[in-house]
Amino acid sequence: MRYDAAIIGAGAEGLAAAALLAGAGARTIVVERSERAGGRATTREFHPGFRASPFADELPPIPADIYWALDLARRGAIFRPAPVSPAARRFLRDVERRAADIRARAVAGIDSAPDHSFFSRPAVPAPWPGEDWMALSLADVLAREPPDIAAHLAAAALSGSVADPYLAGSALHLLTLPRSGFVTGGLASLANALVGAAHEAGADISLGHDVTDIRHAKGRVSGIGLADGSEIEARAVISTLDLKRTFLSFFQWNALPKEIVHAVGTFRMAGAAARVLFALDTMLPDAARDRIHVSSDLEQLAAANTVWRTGMIAPRLPVTLRIVSAADAGLAPLGQSVVTATLGAVPFRLFDGAWTREKREVLRMQALAALETAMPGAGAHVIAAEVIAPPDIEEALGATDGDLMGGALAADQMLSAGPWPDVPFPRCPLKGLYLAGSWLAMSGTCVAGAAAARTVAADIASGTLK
Amino acid sequence: MSAIVVGGGVNGLVAATYLARAGRKVVLLEAKDALGGACATTTFATGFKGPTIAHALTALDPRVVAELKLARRGLKFAVRDMPTVALRADGKHLVIGRDVRATARGIAAHSRADAEAWPRFRRELFDLARAMRPFWWDEPKRGWNLPPTIATLRRQNLAAWLDSRFESDAVKAAVACDASGLSPLVPGSPLLLVWRGCQEMCGLQSAAAIPLGGPGALVDALTAAAKVASVELRTGAHVADILVKDGAATGVVLESGEEIVAKRVLASLSHSQLLATKAGRSALGIGESTALERSVPAVASAKVLLALNAAPNFGGSPSRGRFLLADKIETFVTAHAASRAGCMPEELALEVVVPTAADPALAPMGQHVVSIRIAPLPRHLAGGWDAAKAPLAAKAIAALERCAPGLARHVTAAQVLTPDDIAKRYGEEDEVTVERVMSDWPSRILTPIKGLFLCGAASEPVGAVSGRAGRIAAAHALREAAK
Repeated sequence: MRYDAAIIGAGAEGLAAAALLAGAGARTIVVERSERAGGRATTREFHPGFRASPFADELPPIPADIYWALDLARRGAIFRPAPVSPAARRFLRDVERRAADIRARAVAGIDSAPDHSFFSRPAVPAPWPGEDWMALSLADVLAREPPDIAAHLAAAALSGSVADPYLAGSALHLLTLPRSGFVTGGLASLANALVGAAHEAGADISLGHDVTDIRHAKGRVSGIGLADGSEIEARAVISTLDLKRTFLSFFQWNALPKEIVHAVGTFRMAGAAARVLFALDTMLPDAARDRIHVSSDLEQLAAANTVWRTGMIAPRLPVTLRIVSAADAGLAPLGQSVVTATLGAVPFRLFDGAWTREKREVLRMQALAALETAMPGAGAHVIAAEVIAPPDIEEALGATDGDLMGGALAADQMLSAGPWPDVPFPRCPLKGLYLAGSWLAMSGTCVAGAAAARTVAADIASGTLK
Repeated sequence: MSAIVVGGGVNGLVAATYLARAGRKVVLLEAKDALGGACATTTFATGFKGPTIAHALTALDPRVVAELKLARRGLKFAVRDMPTVALRADGKHLVIGRDVRATARGIAAHSRADAEAWPRFRRELFDLARAMRPFWWDEPKRGWNLPPTIATLRRQNLAAWLDSRFESDAVKAAVACDASGLSPLVPGSPLLLVWRGCQEMCGLQSAAAIPLGGPGALVDALTAAAKVASVELRTGAHVADILVKDGAATGVVLESGEEIVAKRVLASLSHSQLLATKAGRSALGIGESTALERSVPAVASAKVLLALNAAPNFGGSPSRGRFLLADKIETFVTAHAASRAGCMPEELALEVVVPTAADPALAPMGQHVVSIRIAPLPRHLAGGWDAAKAPLAAKAIAALERCAPGLARHVTAAQVLTPDDIAKRYGEEDEVTVERVMSDWPSRILTPIKGLFLCGAASEPVGAVSGRAGRIAAAHALREAAK
């Protein structure tokens, strides 16, 4: 049977794309390597009775139209905004507006509107929303905020990532701030809801199947090949993996046009996040529901960035703590708690070799020290800890260099509709292939998936996809 | 007096001469006893002369040379067309000259792909430079828009831009040296390279040149031109403040109390120096002045002059080159980060010139002068620059020693000018920013005070010895006078 669309990866983006496409009447299949759907939206038991979402505690919000179109509320995905301190709220509103503007521009692909008039000079592209932050550092933008708010916002902007907060352009990291979606029951509830929506719409979900290649001929995609040797024919293929993984693992590089290889090869990733999950045999003070940034000093963030660039683990990594069981009691047994630590400025490639057990132990000790700093005495109650280093994130999710942002947050990568100006996201120079990985410009869950679904549906309707 | 020029550096002399040639009565006031500013030749050890600050002219405006007939006033070049030589610790020095093919052959020793990419890169750079020329070289005509390629480049950072064009550290670092004013990670940093490309393409038809007799010879020629144009030159005249009445400049007052009245004042000041004057502060208002005070740069440069009793040996490279010492792009990234934090960078990036190679008269027979510019360095060093003077020189010599073995043994004297010394002598510079590079000439030359123009090197997109700022400021002043 020939599908209209084959989707690689059953994360939030892939499932949303499947549900929307199938709902529009397209024969759709989602192929997932792991035995469970969800991608980074998973929650698992890391110690008997203790559960946590290993890769992230929260997700960027789902835009309301997608949320209601997929009927996620009825399916049990209850989003709750993560608490924000009132002083930071005004600032965040501005950031959110910018992020939304960038999203609108990237999806519409205005940047590429070609000017074909014969004699006119090439049109100057209108400035991107947020472009004014290119010349500013985090320190510049936050200079007018009260010192404690500024430190908090800087640490939040760089949580689980890395940059020199004094370097011009680092202000762009603020655009990742509006991530406020907390899902009751852990992020897996969202995955379950999306699976339900996809099933109900009539999409096939095939779990435990490894995609080995994307079949293509004459610049046009014809389907995907699986590890067991079988092939799924499809008019369109949507990849929810990042740009590098999509092109470097599903194609032979010499089978691709040169400009694709060059653009993909020079695209920069910047994996810098590690996580430590703690199980504690005590109840922690309920007051601390917000994230606690144990590194609220710009100088420390700058120093950590310098060390990260050399491939070493800084002596004091920036750590963000979250008592996830305080917001969602179901994650821990009664009277006990789960704390997650998100570490930033953790290099994916260490200068002195592999991520050994000793290196992982360094991360655990640093997270533990941060926990002890934030909540004195809590360290003694830790009964189990699991360390997730950058290579683990790459291994589990296929995110190149363990980068969950989809690429280095830099002006040229963020403020553009993809590496091919003539073919904006979600399209790419290969006909029939659509990219729905987490884009840099996207600060929303299911946004990339929905955009890909919409584009595929439009291309089917217009007869572009045969 | 119809105009006063404050500051007798290259741009001050150029501005005064252009005004006088247009028939204005001009007085030029220089606080020091000698003209020339940062462009001077100094005797730093008995028998040894070297360039105080600028050691190779990379941006001299050929129109200034031609229009002021500097060749007739005695300006000769000891070297033109200086090749750039990137010194490598492994001895595989890279010579980058104007001959694209010869350069590509040299690059092939490091990487074949880069050798192939080199001609392409030069074409691209000059295309960009050509697009920016009307903007940087002169004032663009009305209706001139920023080319789309430049708009895209503003989002790019130099490290990524070069990474996508070259693979070898040698080539990337050598190219990045010419854009070391900004961290290579800053969006828009490739524009500094384009600016250099513009100088190279439009300038003296060469990447760099040294006047015969050192940079001071350029000043001598300019002084002669100013005298012929009957500019009144006054040295030792320290300007205390600019006189302002009803928002317009009316003259200056000297430290001696003497007042000189003129309708137009052209000052070789940076914005931060202008703010140090009373007139500047009151005109700009407090809010803006605090903003400008913050823009005092964190990053600066230092200058080291060495006297050698033997010729330095850079492993067979042409000794008349401009030698660059930087391992890789990361050197600039970390040096900028360290400088911002007020720490001494672990690895220094050096630009080295041997003036005696082309002009042996600068040192006793058989002996040599080595001129080193070190940048980026912290403008304010934790612990102060005074204590770090000797260690800085030692560090620079050690770095050179790696590429020119035996050099350290021959050093007989050294002079170090730290960022502090330079700021004390020549005033605080303005920060290099992408906005400044991309701002138009009027925004850098005009001030809120009517009749006051900034004509110094700080009015260039990137500070340099060019004379262009003086020429354009004089044109502005004349245009305003004609109204």
